[in-house]
Amino acid sequence: MQFFGGSEISPSPPAPTVSGNNAHMVYVFNRNGVCLLYREWNRPLHTLNAQQDHKLMFGLLFSLKSLTAKMDPTSAERGNLGVPQLPGQGCSFHSFRTNTYKLSFMETPSGIKIILVTHPRTGDLRDSLKYIYNLYVDYVMKNPLYTPGSPIRSDLFITTLDQYVRSIA
Amino acid sequence: MTEKKGREVSESCVDSLLTEMVSTYCNRFYANKPELAARRIEAIGYQVGHQLSERYTMERPRFNDHLEAIKFICKDFWSELFKKQIDNLKTNHRGTFVLQDNRFRWLSRISIDPSLENGDSQDPSAMAESKAAQATSMHLYFPCGIIRGALSNLGIPCAVSADISNLPACSFVVRIKA
Repeated sequence: MQFFGGSEISPSPPAPTVSGNNAHMVYVFNRNGVCLLYREWNRPLHTLNAQQDHKLMFGLLFSLKSLTAKMDPTSAERGNLGVPQLPGQGCSFHSFRTNTYKLSFMETPSGIKIILVTHPRTGDLRDSLKYIYNLYVDYVMKNPLYTPGSPIRSDLFITTLDQYVRSIA
Repeated sequence: MTEKKGREVSESCVDSLLTEMVSTYCNRFYANKPELAARRIEAIGYQVGHQLSERYTMERPRFNDHLEAIKFICKDFWSELFKKQIDNLKTNHRGTFVLQDNRFRWLSRISIDPSLENGDSQDPSAMAESKAAQATSMHLYFPCGIIRGALSNLGIPCAVSADISNLPACSFVVRIKA
């Protein structure tokens, strides 16, 4: 079952907009809670230091996933909460929205969690998150100089990610 | 009329295999002996190039001179391996050829850590940057070996080295032994 589409990076991104970056920040965590990447483009308020912020975000996601799975009214079985599943299988939340921002989330079967925080009127970003995951696979996992589990420092990945996020209207 | 069915190999598999090969030779078999690791990797490339050139020249007549053979490497051989040709070929007409690939496939995902260039003192950052450059250059011994093996199978003994001053472009310098 081909889940993430063909071998080429797809879909191709739309043309970049003139204005600056629309997104606020992005996090990438691995299965063990290590924050592989944190980029911010637009975040005036910092309440916690970076480490606490990452721990809080990871803990929040873990709790939210657990809560949504437990409160699922349609499923009869409990499901295994610790194990990452294919997106679409089991029960997992994919976004929440407040009046000032929208947080979109995707977890891959390998446990990589991608979080993107944007303005509240953003549409469904699941395809965009899949595209970002494809970028991660291509420029980070396939980089011979990268050690899995360590923070991402690949220039190629960060530049391409910035450009792509800028183009998500 | 039967259609010739081409067999295909997953590119991700080949990429991962090459990465692992370089990593194993550099970090496990010949840790702390980069010259030996380089020689082993280049020798593997030599064998591979030897066999590949045998395969890809099966239906062709012999080459008239060195330039023909180099052009074969640049066009047909490179296309079979990387689905593109060499972008630029230069020669000094005295046995040295420079084959430039503007986007060498096996290096297209390597990215050197930019934070290493912002060192406070000169020495640690320079050392860290050269370690990354050295790690990258280890990945070039295999393609150099492939070119050397292919050419030697065509009857042209030579020495091949690579130059990555301009990532992701990569230049292979072939010096034919007189």
